Amino acid sequence: MLDSETQAFLQTGVSISLAACNAQRLACMSRGMGCKVLDGGRRLAVFIKRSQSQELLDNIAGCNKVACVFSLPSSNRTLQLKGEDAVVQSFDPADGGIVEHHVTEFVREVVPLGTPEPVVRAVFSYTTDDLVTVIYTPTAVFSQTPGPKAGEPVGAAK
Amino acid sequence: MNVRLETIRECLEGIIPGHIGTCDAEGMPNLAYLSQVEFIDNQHVALSYQFFNRTRQNVLAGSPVRLLLTSHLTGAQYRAELQFLRTETAGPLFEQMKAKLAGIAAHTGMSGVFKLLGSDIYRVLSIDQVVGPTVAPPPPPVNYLTALRRAAQKLVGCANLECLLETALDSLQSEFGIGHVMLLMHDEGRGRLYTLASRGYPESGVGSEIPMGVGLIGICARERSPIRIGFMTSEYAYGRTVRDSIAAEGYADTLETAIPLPGLPEARSQMAVPILACERVLGVLYVESVADLHFGYDDEDALVAFAAQLGQAILHHQQVDEVEEEAQASDAAPPVPAGPPLRVRHYAANDSVFLGDDYLIKGVAGAILWALLQDFAERGRTEFTNKGLRVDPRIRLPGVSDNLEARLVLLQRRLDERSAGIHLAKSGRGRYALAVDRPLELVAD
Repeated sequence: MLDSETQAFLQTGVSISLAACNAQRLACMSRGMGCKVLDGGRRLAVFIKRSQSQELLDNIAGCNKVACVFSLPSSNRTLQLKGEDAVVQSFDPADGGIVEHHVTEFVREVVPLGTPEPVVRAVFSYTTDDLVTVIYTPTAVFSQTPGPKAGEPVGAAK
Repeated sequence: MNVRLETIRECLEGIIPGHIGTCDAEGMPNLAYLSQVEFIDNQHVALSYQFFNRTRQNVLAGSPVRLLLTSHLTGAQYRAELQFLRTETAGPLFEQMKAKLAGIAAHTGMSGVFKLLGSDIYRVLSIDQVVGPTVAPPPPPVNYLTALRRAAQKLVGCANLECLLETALDSLQSEFGIGHVMLLMHDEGRGRLYTLASRGYPESGVGSEIPMGVGLIGICARERSPIRIGFMTSEYAYGRTVRDSIAAEGYADTLETAIPLPGLPEARSQMAVPILACERVLGVLYVESVADLHFGYDDEDALVAFAAQLGQAILHHQQVDEVEEEAQASDAAPPVPAGPPLRVRHYAANDSVFLGDDYLIKGVAGAILWALLQDFAERGRTEFTNKGLRVDPRIRLPGVSDNLEARLVLLQRRLDERSAGIHLAKSGRGRYALAVDRPLELVAD
């Protein structure tokens, strides 16, 4: 169960990346377009673009183990949430507002840091029918904020 | 491989941080942000090793490696598959990455946290572009090939070292649009680099010195490798590093400290490129800017190519100037100048020379001037040759790689900057003429 502070952090203008490996242990990753906390913090839904993620989706179908990194560019605060039960579901159009909000927040986060807005908008451009939802239960949370403690488990999952 | 790495090098600058994906033995993926990716060639990159984290554990346990890279110019994303080869903990690549990481650390508030432990070298197995919209990249600030061609053509037209230095620095300004540049020559005998020309600073700094291996310029010379930093970092700031080094290494007696090194106090981008020829380090070209990430891989390529030609030309002109015959001392005594005498004081301990109360130069250039002025005062001699100076026991040049021609240019410039009435001018290949506007009073200490 993710604590409320962590839940809030995941839904700010963080950079999101989701990865899964194939049978040869080669990872594939895609940028997340937003996320949603389910069941009061027990599960997580991450939205990705299907057109960019076929290999990743195949990997998830093959082994269900995923790692997802959430990083706030302005503070470098970074969390990695891993799970072993990932499944792929169709995108619910009702979640469209979450994706839109995420992109807005991310643009607000990174443009002041110097990345041109048209570039950020290109990276995060999408059509709703291209989105897909990956749902999993985070079973391990690691701090990856740069520094010697990066990689250590944190008590965000209770 | 669908994409050549050299065509997407902007993705490696870390402006939009890349990701690295690995996998443990149980099939659990791990994702991490990349602090730094260094382009080596189209088949190889190096990643910074700073902590023994999960990524490194997985890599050392044989995990395949995947990167996700994003261009800050176009928004294009690329997935690259890598194979780990080895780790380097010293040498040119390590120093390049260490310097760059210091800038990145300072920029991201991670000074003291980011410390390079090694450069992990990987083979690039494949690069594929991720489908998705992109934007047109902005036009480059300079057409590097055109700039290089024009600058190279100008060097070809130079008949001596002084012309070469002037033309090289003018070309960096006019063709490459570089506003702040220094050219330093390598004093191989003393393990120093001394400034011979500069552009874009209130004071030229001609004659200022940097010990080999100190700061960006010294490390560039020691490693014979370009070093480039994209963000301001005190770790490579000149004032401090040189002062610290002087104190630590005991250079204080011999290093030129009376002439400050020129330089931007607020430099955010810095690049030093070695001038090499025939396996020798002849000097360093140093450029800087107050803008972040002002110099990229293309600037580095262009300056390395330019420095290669400059190095060959410098070597050529130095060698040509040495084959000329000894000039005869003029029979006719020069006219005796009028006016108040100029006191020239020479301190034999370090060959420093003062004009009046003002410090001028020390070391080999000081010894040369003192010998010229003695000959002028005693014999009315005004014509000198490189060859004669080379065998003059008063000057004690440090062997074959003495850079005599460069030292004469240095001396000539210092004299011109002081406007004290002593002039040194090239009078032919391998020859110099001395002119004095005032009576001299030579004082030996």
